Amino acid sequence: MSTPVPAVRAPGADTEAVQVATRVLGRGTRLPGWFVILWRNGKCRLGLLMLAGFVLVAIFAPVIGRYDPRDDDFDTSAGPSAAHWLGTTALGEDVFAQLVFGARTSLVVGIAAGLLCTVIGLVVGLTAGYLGGWLDEVLSFFINLGLVVPALPLMVTLAAYSPVRGLTLIILVISVTGWAYGARIKRSQIITLRTRDYITAARFAGDRTARIIAHEIVPNMTSLIVVGFMGAALGAIGGEAGLAFLGLGDPQTVSWGTMLNQASLGGALLSGQWAWLIAPGAALALLITSFTLINFGIDALSNPHLRED
Amino acid sequence: MNLFQPEPRGAHTPRPTLRSDEPQGEVEKGSMALLEVENLSVTYAPRDAPVTRAVQDVSFRIREGEFVGLLGESGCGKSTLGNGILRLLSPPARISGGRVVLDGVDLTGADEERLRGLRWTNLSTVFQSSMNSLNPVLRIEAQFAETFAAHRVGEEVGARVVELLRMVSLDPGVLRAYPHELSGGMRQRVALALALALRPRLVLLDEPTTGLDVVVQRNILDRLATLRHELGFAVLFISHDLGTVLEMADRVMVMYAGEIVEDRPAPDLVREAQHPYTRGLLGSYADPRSAEVRVSYIPGRPPDLSVEQPGCRFTPRCPYAEDACGQRRPELRPDDGGLVRCLVAQDGRLPRTPAGAGPGLPVFVGFPAAAGLDRSADPPPEQAVGDPVLLVDDVTKRYTTRRGLRTTSVDAVRGVSLALRPGRVTALVGQSGSGKTTIARLVTGVERPTSGQVRFTAADSTTEVRVDRLRGRALRDYRRHVQMIFQDPFSALNPTRTVGYALSRPLVNYHGLRGPAVRERAAELLESVGLAPAGQFLDKLPHQLSGGQRQRVVTARALAPEPEILIADEPVSMLDVSIRAEILELLGKLVRTRRLAMLYITHDLLSARLLADEVLVLNHGDLVEQGPTLEVVGAARDDYTRLLLDSIPNPFSAARRPG
Ligand SMILES: Nc1ncnc2c1ncn2[C@@H]1O[C@H](COP(=O)(O)OP(=O)(O)O)[C@@H](O)[C@H]1O
Ligand code: SF4
Ligand SMILES: [Mg+2]
Repeated sequence: MSTPVPAVRAPGADTEAVQVATRVLGRGTRLPGWFVILWRNGKCRLGLLMLAGFVLVAIFAPVIGRYDPRDDDFDTSAGPSAAHWLGTTALGEDVFAQLVFGARTSLVVGIAAGLLCTVIGLVVGLTAGYLGGWLDEVLSFFINLGLVVPALPLMVTLAAYSPVRGLTLIILVISVTGWAYGARIKRSQIITLRTRDYITAARFAGDRTARIIAHEIVPNMTSLIVVGFMGAALGAIGGEAGLAFLGLGDPQTVSWGTMLNQASLGGALLSGQWAWLIAPGAALALLITSFTLINFGIDALSNPHLRED
Repeated sequence: MNLFQPEPRGAHTPRPTLRSDEPQGEVEKGSMALLEVENLSVTYAPRDAPVTRAVQDVSFRIREGEFVGLLGESGCGKSTLGNGILRLLSPPARISGGRVVLDGVDLTGADEERLRGLRWTNLSTVFQSSMNSLNPVLRIEAQFAETFAAHRVGEEVGARVVELLRMVSLDPGVLRAYPHELSGGMRQRVALALALALRPRLVLLDEPTTGLDVVVQRNILDRLATLRHELGFAVLFISHDLGTVLEMADRVMVMYAGEIVEDRPAPDLVREAQHPYTRGLLGSYADPRSAEVRVSYIPGRPPDLSVEQPGCRFTPRCPYAEDACGQRRPELRPDDGGLVRCLVAQDGRLPRTPAGAGPGLPVFVGFPAAAGLDRSADPPPEQAVGDPVLLVDDVTKRYTTRRGLRTTSVDAVRGVSLALRPGRVTALVGQSGSGKTTIARLVTGVERPTSGQVRFTAADSTTEVRVDRLRGRALRDYRRHVQMIFQDPFSALNPTRTVGYALSRPLVNYHGLRGPAVRERAAELLESVGLAPAGQFLDKLPHQLSGGQRQRVVTARALAPEPEILIADEPVSMLDVSIRAEILELLGKLVRTRRLAMLYITHDLLSARLLADEVLVLNHGDLVEQGPTLEVVGAARDDYTRLLLDSIPNPFSAARRPG
């Protein structure tokens, strides 16, 4: 019902208030304020712990995995055993080692593509939103284009037709298809912030445009930037797995997507190697779950009413 | 058929049968308590801050059809109390004690389902922000339809909505509009119409007209008064603006530091307020037309409610305070005709106020005549008037907007000329949309005039600068001489930047100061606007300051480049009435001691009367009246000026009181 009573805020609408809250919280501790808010949310804390687990596994992969994931000196298509906890592949590689190293790939792709999307989105969004005029119209056209073109088919096409295969390519393809959403949110946020009196005041205080953007606007958007990064990273992890599963990944890299691809090609289903088939999917699902849980906290970050304080 | 004539209840709307819960007996309807609040307390218990007891042990009743005002400075707990009654509190706020009974139903114990049924049908509300919380993607029509549908009112919705709009003086055409296509005043009237849609018996209005123009405000308040007489609903009207509250209400409750300190029929309160705090609030009012205008303010701010304080909470600000006040907490006790919470008043030892003279109680800080705010009839000495620093010469600004294929053009300003002189305040008065802000933009070089000239001559030079031709670097240099004080102190300071940072920017950019010199100079600036000791403020974030303190910081920042011209665009309209006088006094002092030329933009003729030497009245882009303040305000010739004057709520004029 349309009550003029409690207005529900759009997520991210109140970034200034969030920023103030985070600055205040950050003053007492050495942690950034946004982290404090995230940590306080129970679901988010679980997600952060899970993510930390994945990061540790990725860092210590050689120790935890015990074998080289590309070492194919073992029996082929063996079931789980003490030596090979999740069995071996059709080529005779250790599935567990691949699973552990796969975490590295997913996180690297997530972080790199997430950063790239964020940077592109920030630059495009800031320029379009702050400068306005014809530049905004041109950039907005590209943002809208990026939004309407379906990402997965475009990714598949780009990856399929590219002459080289490699992780860098995957990261680039994902970033090219994924920056627009963040850019749109940042653009509209800037348009709101640009009209604030303190921006006019900064101009009257003699500050130049670059300084105004860097010192007056961006500090009021950091939570939005963190939110955007998390979203982009999640999309990138899923995108990489999808491409690799379709056989469009980097054949040199071990990832959960390639594992799934090999498992279906290598007849894991026929040989009854359930562990080989299920493990990479389960790992992916867990990583995605951790991001989703963290997103609960991020919602709290952008909506003070959801904050657990 | 007039749907809103008093007719048997339930004739059209299936109403929840709450009446059966009522106590039985031969109680006369008019004297029955519709709302009973008993010992209500609300606390905020945030995780990172100490517990604040925002509402403490508040009890009162509202009778059927009664109009009750709730008055107090911001931060005294008015809205918390209102939201507590409506059960709209969200964590970290919660009701920590007491009951709210509406028409026999205990709201504090009711579940959400029950509350949903009661809201709108029995109890509805309009907030200051209501105009901004209409659903932006729905046409006004759909918003009404939803409200009716949610309460299963099927038949005759169309006729009824038109009737509702007529009640709030809106054209049925607005039904096809989206909220953003309407002005603030229109949206607020839509919100009011929605609140009245289901004929509630109690309407809670929380600052419903704050931030709106005087003329729009007058219009809404007049509608409200008429509607209430026609429909007979009861109102709890919350505001910090005692002009409107006293004019509208039958009975007024004054709230200070989470407690009701006085409760009395409005005419008695105007005649002889018994609580020192109420007297202080009344002092901020005066009639701008009188030959001598004197306002006063209560120094200091309401106390921090997270700190337990023995004795009377008003003690630090009270001019009547005695030793006992610091130790013994006064109770809210009946005296003749009302309730008061003051030890001295309860003993009958509070000096009487001179009959008839409400404003300007000398016991509170009054403006010393030298500060220029105690304006008597004599014109200022002529020799003080210097050569103009800025001349606006026959300026017209036309905005052309293209919407699809159609172009429309508006003359925001037509043929306006004015001069700003050092040490003088020129007030630009007019409704919103009259072109005031456009003139400010022309003077600061943000916009260029379509025709006419804007010329600036610095005090220490003879060369004229054509402001209407400046661009780039030259414009930036010019800005050093022209600085702004903004309307909204909450938006004029970056929420993530400290006070010290805000002040450092002009010092670095215009004076080339570096290192510790910046901090030193910033501290001096803060002291010059009355924020002392400055060290305490430099590292604060804006949200840690009160509205008045923020406006002082904004003023200090504007003074930093040592400008010749200060443009103040409604600098006090967002502030509490009680601190407006304080900021006006500061501005007046700065203008005179630093020989600044000030353009003071306002729609409030009382503040113009207090601050300005000269007044220009603008109507739809035309200058309709111009002259020395007292002449324009005291003997307005133009109809529009008179309309502005008549729109000012005046608690002291008995003539306006309805009934
Ligand atoms: N940028 C603009 N584009 C189109 N019309 C404008 C613009 N700025 C102001 N106007 C119009 O000019 C008139 C005067 O506006 P303004 O200067 O803002 O008055 P005030 O300061 O009294 O509110 C209004 O009718 C407004 O719609
Ligand atoms: S009790 Fe004392 S301090 Fe409190 S309002 Fe009365 S006189 Fe002032
Ligand atoms: Mg304006």
